[in-house]
Amino acid sequence: MATKSVKTAQRYAMVIDAKKCINCKACVVACKAENQVPLGVFRNWIDEETSGEYPHLRMSFDPEQCHHCADPSCVRVCPTGASWQREDGIVLVNEDDCIGCKYCIIACPYDARYHNPETHTVGKCTFCSHRVDRGELPACVETCPSKVRVFGDLNDPKSQLHQLLATRRYEVKNPQTGNGPQLYYLL
Amino acid sequence: MREPVWEFLIVNYLFLGGLSAGLYFASALATWIQEDGRSAYPRIARWGALLAPWPVSLGSALLVLDLGKPMRFWKIFFHFRWRSPMSIGSWLLVAFTFLSLAYLWSWLEQDERQSLQARIPGKIRKRIPARVQRWLDLDASLWRRNLAMLGFPIAVGVGIYTGVLLGAVQARPFWNTNLVAQMFLFSALSSGTAALVVARLMDREPVELKEMRFLYSMDITLIVLELFIVLPYLIHGELSSLAVKEALAQVLGGPFTIVFWLFFMGIGLLLPLAIELYEFKPVILGKGTFHIQPRWALTAGGLVLFGGYMLRYIFVFAGQATGFR
Amino acid sequence: MERRTFMEIIGAGSLILPPLACGLRRPVAAGPTFLDGIATTCELCPNKCSVLAVVKDGHITKLNPNPDNPKSRGMLCARGNAAVQQVYDPDRLKQPLIRVGARGEGKWRPASWDEAFDYTAKKLSDIKAKHGPEGTLWSSTEGFQEIFFKNLGQAFGSPNVMRHPSLCLASVNLAYSMTYGTVPSFDLLNADYVIMAGANRFESIITPDTMDLIGGTMERKAKLIYLDPRFTVTASKADEWYPIKPGTDMAFILAMMNVIIAENRYDKAFLESETVGFEQLVEHVKPYTPEWAEGETEIPAQDIARIARAFADAAPRAVFYAGRRSSWYQNDFQMRRAQALLNAIVGNWDRQGGMVPNQKIAKGEFLVLPWDDPKAARVDEVEKAFPLASAKDGVYLPLRENLLKGQPYPVKGWMIYKQDPLHALPDQGKTMKMLDQMEFVGVIDIAMSDTAWYADVVFPESHYLERTDPIEVMPGIWPAAVYRQQVVKPIHDTKPCLEIAQGLAKRLGLSDYFDYTIEQWVEAEAKELPIQNGLEHMKQRGVVAVSQPKYGTTRNPVHRFLTKSGKIELFSDRLKEAGHDPLPVYTPPVQPSGGRFRLVLGRKATITHATLTNLPWLHEHNPENDLWIHPEPAAKLNIQSGDLLEVSSSVGQVRIKARVTQEIRPDCVFMLHGFGKKSPWLKRVHNVGAADSVLLETAWDKVSGNAAMHETFVKVVKA
Ligand SMILES: Nc1nc2c(c(=O)[nH]1)N[C@H]1C(S)=C(S)[C@@H](COP(=O)(O)OP(=O)(O)OC[C@H]3O[C@@H](n4cnc5c(=O)[nH]c(N)nc54)[C@H](O)[C@@H]3O)O[C@H]1N2
Ligand SMILES: Nc1nc2c(c(=O)[nH]1)N[C@H]1C(S)=C(S)[C@@H](COP(=O)(O)OP(=O)(O)OC[C@H]3O[C@@H](n4cnc5c(=O)[nH]c(N)nc54)[C@H](O)[C@@H]3O)O[C@H]1N2
Ligand code: SF4
Ligand code: SF4
Ligand code: SF4
Ligand code: SF4
Ligand code: SF4
Ligand SMILES: [Mo]
Repeated sequence: MATKSVKTAQRYAMVIDAKKCINCKACVVACKAENQVPLGVFRNWIDEETSGEYPHLRMSFDPEQCHHCADPSCVRVCPTGASWQREDGIVLVNEDDCIGCKYCIIACPYDARYHNPETHTVGKCTFCSHRVDRGELPACVETCPSKVRVFGDLNDPKSQLHQLLATRRYEVKNPQTGNGPQLYYLL
Repeated sequence: MREPVWEFLIVNYLFLGGLSAGLYFASALATWIQEDGRSAYPRIARWGALLAPWPVSLGSALLVLDLGKPMRFWKIFFHFRWRSPMSIGSWLLVAFTFLSLAYLWSWLEQDERQSLQARIPGKIRKRIPARVQRWLDLDASLWRRNLAMLGFPIAVGVGIYTGVLLGAVQARPFWNTNLVAQMFLFSALSSGTAALVVARLMDREPVELKEMRFLYSMDITLIVLELFIVLPYLIHGELSSLAVKEALAQVLGGPFTIVFWLFFMGIGLLLPLAIELYEFKPVILGKGTFHIQPRWALTAGGLVLFGGYMLRYIFVFAGQATGFR
Repeated sequence: MERRTFMEIIGAGSLILPPLACGLRRPVAAGPTFLDGIATTCELCPNKCSVLAVVKDGHITKLNPNPDNPKSRGMLCARGNAAVQQVYDPDRLKQPLIRVGARGEGKWRPASWDEAFDYTAKKLSDIKAKHGPEGTLWSSTEGFQEIFFKNLGQAFGSPNVMRHPSLCLASVNLAYSMTYGTVPSFDLLNADYVIMAGANRFESIITPDTMDLIGGTMERKAKLIYLDPRFTVTASKADEWYPIKPGTDMAFILAMMNVIIAENRYDKAFLESETVGFEQLVEHVKPYTPEWAEGETEIPAQDIARIARAFADAAPRAVFYAGRRSSWYQNDFQMRRAQALLNAIVGNWDRQGGMVPNQKIAKGEFLVLPWDDPKAARVDEVEKAFPLASAKDGVYLPLRENLLKGQPYPVKGWMIYKQDPLHALPDQGKTMKMLDQMEFVGVIDIAMSDTAWYADVVFPESHYLERTDPIEVMPGIWPAAVYRQQVVKPIHDTKPCLEIAQGLAKRLGLSDYFDYTIEQWVEAEAKELPIQNGLEHMKQRGVVAVSQPKYGTTRNPVHRFLTKSGKIELFSDRLKEAGHDPLPVYTPPVQPSGGRFRLVLGRKATITHATLTNLPWLHEHNPENDLWIHPEPAAKLNIQSGDLLEVSSSVGQVRIKARVTQEIRPDCVFMLHGFGKKSPWLKRVHNVGAADSVLLETAWDKVSGNAAMHETFVKVVKA
């Protein structure tokens, strides 16, 4: 038997097959329930777009949430270090250190953050790190009827995520932001 | 498009911070320029020094109030985040506020200092240690020039910072150009100068022509510089990437067009410039005599302040309405 | 309860499974597991997905999907996720209520269960004394405890036990039963060519069809042809969408058959051995050419012909999907029959990727003491007027007509379980009259529905997360038996339906029929589950799904279809005998005139029927309903999005905001169901938007008696 290879660090990311999204909002409500997200603000949402003229119409849905950027501008601008990034790439807000200046909300090119009207601090998608740390899937990923989102470790060549990225064409949203977004949208 | 999260408190804060920086800068300049071994424009310098600490203090208070968790504002000072403009800016603001207070102190006369001290309730006054008391009694006027010199970079820093706070946000194409910092700086300095025009004209002591010449030449220069930044900002933006072009649409055929062109460019920039140039014509052309018409000068000063406020308002709101989505 | 880790799903799992989990072709295999959640079954819509409920300190914190169920395929929809909010809804029913003011006035007296039972039993007995047991109506919508409610009605002696199918799928079920002797499922996971007519699968969620269709169309690139007057989410995912002229689907289907038969593209061998009446069908469809159908449907003839060819070529991996809510037009049964015949002639019966007869999972039965058959005939006269229809389910709209006329006898008491007739039935005004003429109305619900608001006694049932229900078998290609077990104790003074039935039974002298506990009932059912320690298994995992899809079991010479001839009946003698067309004959639908529009109905993924619109997490996505109207007529009427409109039909009038949209035909308008509530307890939707049932006129399908809910024309003006 070969010697155990050194465990490479994890880098969590998500692949999104937006064409499969049916805008059912299961992911949105699951996130609300899992993370006690207050009414009126959202950690994830579906961008809808319709175009064309009857009867030649097109409608598309884009699931959105924090992109857990490689170089997150939200973390950069945070004056207190409340916004921070784990080694595995997950970008989090430490509630206790957040002063609610909202600079990070403004600095996020993906508009992924919100001001929590109950705690007056800033909230965002955590990739359900508490679930991931238990070995579970994020709530939005698990509940989706069409399994639009695939969550996993970029550094694990065996992961479905890795395999999808190896075999399918994809894009990231607005790479020109320079943030290095880590939601990969299949084409 | 999502709702703005920074609103009028932040507009006010940016304006007030810039105003203080401008007041300090103009005053420091007036202190620095010497005539017969003393400040050439002492009344201007003194006014600037007396006014400078207050807008920024008010602005900082507003900033703290705008926080979701105002009672936690101190946390900023326990984490130095050198990549965060807000972190650096907060330190700058603190430094500037203390400096401007010291500078103010240096411009107080002996009797003013004493009457101020007299207002401290006796109970507390008695407890002030002798060492401190000595400091308070010290005639600091000798320090004025040094404080002025020391203040230049810090005041400029604060003026720039109000712009950098926005300009450093690459997520908002409307802001994300180095021109914004300069625009805000010149606007801040110009606001400070204009505020001094107003202050000086309200003063009991009649204005001297040379004082006005100093303030006018400074303000005209600053407005022209500002114009030289605003126009390239627009032109460059139009020639830039789609996101920037779309962002500029906010002021070029979007919701902020009228505010921008009428209230900022027109009433807040070009009109005062025109008034000041008209008044200053004799000096520029070297023909005729330069009078001061206080009404016009006051109007021009007021309009510059108004323009400075509009600039902050437009940038704060229009900028948040832009993005990559 | 155990759940697989994602490491395993995305790790080892991906080696076995096709790229995305949606393309699962077999039930998820059990792997390394960890403990998490109490297994139970969602009750927020008819799908009954499997749930793992996470409870912390006696409080339900989260509902997660249970991947063991091959029907729900590891998903929970938005509604299923929001169920927690129902439990902790401050406005839910918390104790029995007895009306004190006038009906609908909203004056209630909280009552003890004893009081509510005594009061109700007295009222029911009085009515029985005056009008006999048939003087009571017992109506309900499907649910695992519905059986106890029905049993109570039957034991009481009423023939008038009324279920919901004649508001839902009675016509489609009857059409397929009359043809195949059974109602099959459609193997969307494996079909290569799917035609859906107004079966809005991506918004009207049906498990596993919704997920299978996404997997099929998006991953295997199966073709999806979709007909709907609206551009729905399903339309947006289809390869081709045709805004068919409403009510003309049968013309499209007949023309497809015309092409397939004329071009010899049918499955000859199959037709010969398994069907009767093909010769008649050949003659029958001759006049129905694509050119003719183009005139009816407004779908180009060459497209119809092309689709027909492609469909036949793809067969047997091709299906014309049946649809579920078939309460559309007065010819609905015949239209669904035409579909059934189209499917038959390409021979997709019992083939992978085709139509597949349902499998079941065996389970035991708790035997209850039998009661006497009712002496009176049903008040809806279903046996007489709709001899082919399901007499045990009844026909709701004909029932309401008779009842209002007092014919053939008066009905003065109405017990309602898990149903909101004021919204579910067309013509709310008429349903209101029906309520008015009742001497007693009792409602068992979990929320103060509009019907409950007009009742005399309201019984609060425990929420599904607070009760244990009978084991239910969900038939299908992937059959499953599912179990609903109590997750938390009732947090208010509520009872499960069984205990409510028992409370009433005791006072009505019917206790003998209810002499058991839910545990005994479930135990008897679990005993015969095809798995060891059935009950224990159910408590642990909530699902038994032991079988694999089976294809072709009925494709053998000895198989007899449960029809009169033992074959698939293309031509139906029984229909002929009953005085109906033995083959589907097309009659053009009446068209709206005088600037009116046809009102069409449909679903949205975040709403179940007329309910759930008051739950905050769902309300956020549907704050109010509006009237979809095409820009062209809108311009003529000078209507802009957001304008308040007055919409009226021959039976009612509502005010609703306009939504000018390209996503609907110019001759139709559309609104969502579930708004314009009268009950102030549903505070977010009380008087918000409008109720479609106010506008809908009474009409039904001739053969099945199923409500025909797209037959209403409305006038639209700016308010
Ligand atoms: N206008 C119009 N009418 C329609 C339809 C339409 O689309 N438009 N659709 C038709 C179809 S297909 C159907 S199936 C029917 C459905 O008709 P209904 O069965 O009346 O549908 P719901 O609106 O879901 O009402 C169910 C009631 O049950 C209550 N309830 C929910 N869960 C429980 C529970 O666990 N216990 C008890 N006791 N009560 C519970 C809810 O609070 C609600 O009051 O409507 C039909 N009528
Ligand atoms: N989210 C959600 N899912 C549900 C339910 C729910 O309440 N909410 N309810 C469940 C139940 S009980 C049922 S019965 C099913 C119903 O599910 P479906 O059978 O899919 O029925 P509807 O959603 O009512 O969709 C009817 C569609 O037919 C279109 N239509 C109208 N007239 C015509 C016509 O003449 N021809 C054609 N081709 N189309 C037409 C309408 O525009 C509408 O989009 O959904 C089930 N799933
Ligand atoms: S749950 Fe899946 S299909 Fe539904 S809206 Fe979210 S991503 Fe789209
Ligand atoms: S998407 Fe926004 S919030 Fe998320 S990491 Fe990137 S910058 Fe930060
Ligand atoms: S709002 Fe909180 S997390 Fe965001 S930048 Fe300010 S302190 Fe950091
Ligand atoms: S990963 Fe978790 S926190 Fe992020 S959107 Fe999904 S459910 Fe919400
Ligand atoms: S489809 Fe949604 S509401 Fe219906 S049973 Fe499943 S989870 Fe519950
Ligand atoms: Mo239904």
